[in-house]
Amino acid sequence: MSLFDTLFRNKRERSSDIARERLLTVLVHDRVKLSPDVLEKLKAELSEVISKYVPAVEPNEIEVTLLRGESSDHIKADIPLRRSAE
Amino acid sequence: MSRVITITSGKGGVGKTTTTANLGTALAMQGARVAVVDADIGLRNLDVVMGLENRIVYDLVDVIEGRCRLRQALIKDKHFPDLLLLPAAQTRDKDAVTSEDMIELTNQLRKEVDYVLVDSPAGIEAGFRNAIAGADEVLIVTTPEVSAVRDADRIVGLVEAFEKGHPRLILNRLKLRMVNRGEMMSVEDVLQILAIDLIGVVPDDELIVSATNRGEVAVLDRASNAGRAFIEIARRIKGEQVPFMALEENTGVLERFFGMFGRRPRGSER
Repeated sequence: MSLFDTLFRNKRERSSDIARERLLTVLVHDRVKLSPDVLEKLKAELSEVISKYVPAVEPNEIEVTLLRGESSDHIKADIPLRRSAE
Repeated sequence: MSRVITITSGKGGVGKTTTTANLGTALAMQGARVAVVDADIGLRNLDVVMGLENRIVYDLVDVIEGRCRLRQALIKDKHFPDLLLLPAAQTRDKDAVTSEDMIELTNQLRKEVDYVLVDSPAGIEAGFRNAIAGADEVLIVTTPEVSAVRDADRIVGLVEAFEKGHPRLILNRLKLRMVNRGEMMSVEDVLQILAIDLIGVVPDDELIVSATNRGEVAVLDRASNAGRAFIEIARRIKGEQVPFMALEENTGVLERFFGMFGRRPRGSER
């Protein structure tokens, strides 16, 4: 079990994947000048607003990244929802 | 129509000067008249990479300040008479030159050659701004490392803000074995982050070091993988459709990427 975990964890934590994720996050700050604490406030408020309409928001799981498009950048928020038993 | 192409990066040491020297030589090998300009005032390097350091009489600042004519400062390459080097000044700093000076200079060079390649200094200040001032297009060099990519991202924004069109990417010093082990970001990773068009991938190659030691460029060494990559980039600069070369067989990551010349679509998932 622990060997399996180790193998699985090593596969999921390739340093190249970590690097890519870190860059995607840090570039949100670099490009739109969103400091980490401002970004946290943004996520918290986003979570509040969405949960007014959709109660099943997982606030700690929200991811905010920046995508560069053809003519403009886009802030992308990924907002996971708890699956309910209904 | 002559083209002025600036090679820049943000981060220092990622291979701008090596790229400029090799692309200039490759274009000349393919029959073009080329001027390579060292715009890193105060930190002259293009001359030594090309092995022309003993032939410098005048430099870019001498031309701009009128102490000599442009043709007197241009140095013919050892191998290709149609490849000319305009060296940087070694004893001045970047304030010696303005953007207007660079535009004027590149316009003069347009009359003499088919391609003007400008080797930009590292950074984002006046030296960089001067280097792109006269450019029709910009190539951004980066390595697949965190700080280089972060700096390249900043440069992408600045190039577009200065309205120099969409820059194209040269990914340098790729180590395929490390990519396959997941220890180095792949071409796809870097493209996903920077989201600009790729013009070439240059593998890490020890022959670059020994070539530079000798003042020779890698494109002249048939054994050099990096040299071959630069030759392909030169062909793409000229507008040829060159498929990205197989750096190694069995590369799932690169195979998915082959044939993708364009920008990633807006909003694409990782």
